[in-house]
Amino acid sequence: MIHIENLVKRYGDLVALDHLNLDIQEGEVFGLLGPNGSGKTTAIGCLLALLKYDKGTITIFGKEMRPDSYDIKKDIGVVMQNVAVFEQMTVWENIDYFCGLYIKDKALRKKLVEDAIAFTDLEDFTKMRPKKLSGGLLRRLNIACGIVHKPKLIIMDEPTVAVDPQSRNKILEGILELNRQGSTIIYTSHYMEEVEQICSRIAIIDHGRVLAIGTTEELKKMIKTGETITIEAIALDAGTLADIRELPHVFDLTYEEQVLKIRLSGAKHNLVRILNYLQEHDITFGRVFSELPTLNDVFLEITGKELRD
Amino acid sequence: MTVFKGFLTITKRNLHIVLLYAGIFLSISIMVQKSVGKDDSQANFEQTSLDIAVIDRDGGELARGLASYLEQYHTLKDVPDDPSIIQDRLFYREVYYVVTIPEDFEERCLNGEEQLPVTKVPGSTSGYYVDQQIDTFLNDVRIMTASGFTLEEAIDSVQKNGEVTTDVTLLDKSRYGGEQSYPSFMYQYMPYIILSILCYALSYIMIAFHNPDVKKRMSCSAIPIRSQNMQLVLGFAVIGMFVWIICTLMVLVIFGKDFLQDPNMVYYLLNSFIMTLVSLSLAFLIGMLVHREDLISAVVNVVSLGMSFLCGVFVELEIMSKGVKRVARFLPVYWYEIVNDLLGNHSSFSASQRATLFTGYGLQLMFAAAFLGIALVIGRNRRQA
Repeated sequence: MIHIENLVKRYGDLVALDHLNLDIQEGEVFGLLGPNGSGKTTAIGCLLALLKYDKGTITIFGKEMRPDSYDIKKDIGVVMQNVAVFEQMTVWENIDYFCGLYIKDKALRKKLVEDAIAFTDLEDFTKMRPKKLSGGLLRRLNIACGIVHKPKLIIMDEPTVAVDPQSRNKILEGILELNRQGSTIIYTSHYMEEVEQICSRIAIIDHGRVLAIGTTEELKKMIKTGETITIEAIALDAGTLADIRELPHVFDLTYEEQVLKIRLSGAKHNLVRILNYLQEHDITFGRVFSELPTLNDVFLEITGKELRD
Repeated sequence: MTVFKGFLTITKRNLHIVLLYAGIFLSISIMVQKSVGKDDSQANFEQTSLDIAVIDRDGGELARGLASYLEQYHTLKDVPDDPSIIQDRLFYREVYYVVTIPEDFEERCLNGEEQLPVTKVPGSTSGYYVDQQIDTFLNDVRIMTASGFTLEEAIDSVQKNGEVTTDVTLLDKSRYGGEQSYPSFMYQYMPYIILSILCYALSYIMIAFHNPDVKKRMSCSAIPIRSQNMQLVLGFAVIGMFVWIICTLMVLVIFGKDFLQDPNMVYYLLNSFIMTLVSLSLAFLIGMLVHREDLISAVVNVVSLGMSFLCGVFVELEIMSKGVKRVARFLPVYWYEIVNDLLGNHSSFSASQRATLFTGYGLQLMFAAAFLGIALVIGRNRRQA
């Protein structure tokens, strides 16, 4: 559905997109995951022909995307990072206005507006102006304006920034529902939990380049970390830490503020082996956690930094 | 026409501003019209006849002549020669002026330097008028007797002169008795109203449409940017026409027949229409420059009030200092007022007046084009940035 090839975008000396390559299939919820400044929004800007780029090609629905590609644009819905609505219009008027930019038939537009309002649970607020809405409701209005014309492709650029957990869950459920209804979704975020929760495929992007791409499982398999074991233990000495480091499958270890964090490559019985060691050496320990790798671990290993750095 | 409809929806939200200014305009106009209607002192002259008294202590020929001369213009009342009674009569306005002719009047006042003692209502303009008449009488008699006429001949001649009347016809260049035309008073204030309404309302709308996020969303839509811009231009045109029609209707409501029969009606309409174009382009420029709603009020007040004060909207251009006028020449409202003054004082134009008229129109249009050009350049630079 979308093919991006060798996309380069520079702002003066800064290379925002560095030969970015992406292929997005129809029916996917595709996540673009990266820290702030990694190039996600620039990539979206180029994809929507809002930004001129220096090199590369972008095709959507098999056609080259240009600023005047209105036949492509009519099938795209956009939910911007910032709430993009008119303060002077009511909720209904805003949704109707943005629907009118795609749909001319008045009766159809009315039906679509009603659907979008129901979809985003804004029925009780249709006559209110955006100023009167809470942050979560505003985000829902922003989404309603972007998806009201039921587009084939929906691009969502960090739609849950500054949203309370309840509204966030509602929004994420809504996105999955849109996907079930047939829309392909591109979802950018720096919240890895969200991306992990809803995206069928994810591209990790940093410095304008795709570092890794695949399903959540595929990404997790790309890294060495198979399991992270965290143990609360008091006053471990250097010898003990060196011994643990030598245990099978342990490849990294940190001990800070009485918390021992051990990274192990994927294998069975890692936890049992470590607990046995602690027991045998009569080391007192408190709570123990074992976690499977997260996207943050993937990001950490690939880029050498935390996702929210 | 979604963008156009959206434009109108946002305009509806600002309708209170339009109504507020229309109300102010209407109130000012009605007040001006009332004051113009009442004040006919400059348009007409009517000789005033006062109730006055002449107390003759002399009883001579000259004294009788003066009393007779004054009787030609005023009504003589009998008042006793008692200061307290004279004061009472003046206080109750039974008489407005009392002239006391002393003994040896001829010696003391005609040949000597002594002034005639008079008692009059303090601050009365009519009193000065009688003063003048007495001076005229005495001066004329003095000159004639000095020239060899007898006192009787001199008095007789001066009295006859007073009976002579001359018909004077004023050339009514403006059709309003030499006054500035009534509609021109209303048109004088119109720039302030048009500027205020359009700059307020349209700047608010411009800010809404220039919100970068809204703009991005609209750029992603299926409607070409050119079509969106054309719809915005149409919105501007409709709002401009609406305000211009409202202002014109108010003139028609107040001056109706006078305005319709005014030979300069078309010129007034054209002048106010061009001012509407200037205001639209200025509103567009302000909308480009100001991005915060809370600043609009301050900016629009400075622009509309500033221009109005400098360019003769509130204060007549003719009583402004040269320095102010020199500055005002660089503002469009000045040229509007120049045209309005011309239209207000003339019903037909000489070649040079016609040149002034069209220069005024042309310069206003150039200002409109300049404001629009600057706004477009700013817009293009922003897009490129």
